[in-house]
Amino acid sequence: MAKRNDLEITRVFDAPRKLVFKVWSEAKHLAQWWGPKGSEIEVKTLEFRPGGIFHYTMSFGGGKMWGKFVYREIVEPEKIVFASSFADEEGNSIRTSFIDPWPLEILNTVTFTESAGKTTLTIKGAPINATEEEYNKFEEMTASMQQGFGGTLDQLAEYLLKIKE
Amino acid sequence: MRRDVFQAIADPTRREILGMIAHKSLNINAVSENFDVSRAAIYKHMKILAECGLLEIKQQGRERFCEGRLEKLNEVSDWVEQYRQFWEARFDSLDNYLKELQSKKKKHGKKK
Repeated sequence: MAKRNDLEITRVFDAPRKLVFKVWSEAKHLAQWWGPKGSEIEVKTLEFRPGGIFHYTMSFGGGKMWGKFVYREIVEPEKIVFASSFADEEGNSIRTSFIDPWPLEILNTVTFTESAGKTTLTIKGAPINATEEEYNKFEEMTASMQQGFGGTLDQLAEYLLKIKE
Repeated sequence: MRRDVFQAIADPTRREILGMIAHKSLNINAVSENFDVSRAAIYKHMKILAECGLLEIKQQGRERFCEGRLEKLNEVSDWVEQYRQFWEARFDSLDNYLKELQSKKKKHGKKK
């Protein structure tokens, strides 16, 4: 499971699922934990519903950056699917110059499962391309096992290695 | 629009082209003959691949060849690694926050 290129990240939290889901869905909680170490998060907009956005600023060491989620699917308390990106003040997705390469937008699927009072959180990531058309193609690609691709990026990484051999 | 490696590999036809030219450079026409779609459509994909830095088109006499530049694909694995680090850090932060929240709750519980 702990393969280097596996793009599925799992962690068990010692807290009930209801609480873990809650801290993902409310602005006052997100402001407390979302954001890199040493940064301060300020939530500008949080519309926790499909199609809604989470638009926030991260401040650290005099610098300020904007980030954005667009929620695509929410199944309380099991699943959140959202596209994440860096943003400008108006909420447009932008590329950042200090992490390169980084896709413009990433589709993240977070699932919450509970067992014996503990919550297992799994996140899967996939880059989304500039246009909806290309996004659909990415979906198509992940659906097509024939091509050597599966639903997760580790398979993509494997494929990439394979054709590079 | 900026082209990047993620865009390059998003399309199945483009991935197939990459697979074909991974080990040897091929005449452009020879590549397009392998597909059912029009030659123009294949050229368009090659152009995108070239703009993304994954392919180079070289003129040799009267023929044009395309050559893979697959080292560019390392950017995808780099990104995968960065994404992992990013989320591991977020999960640490979430873990701390949940502990904090729950210890507060317990303290309040004991006060009564």
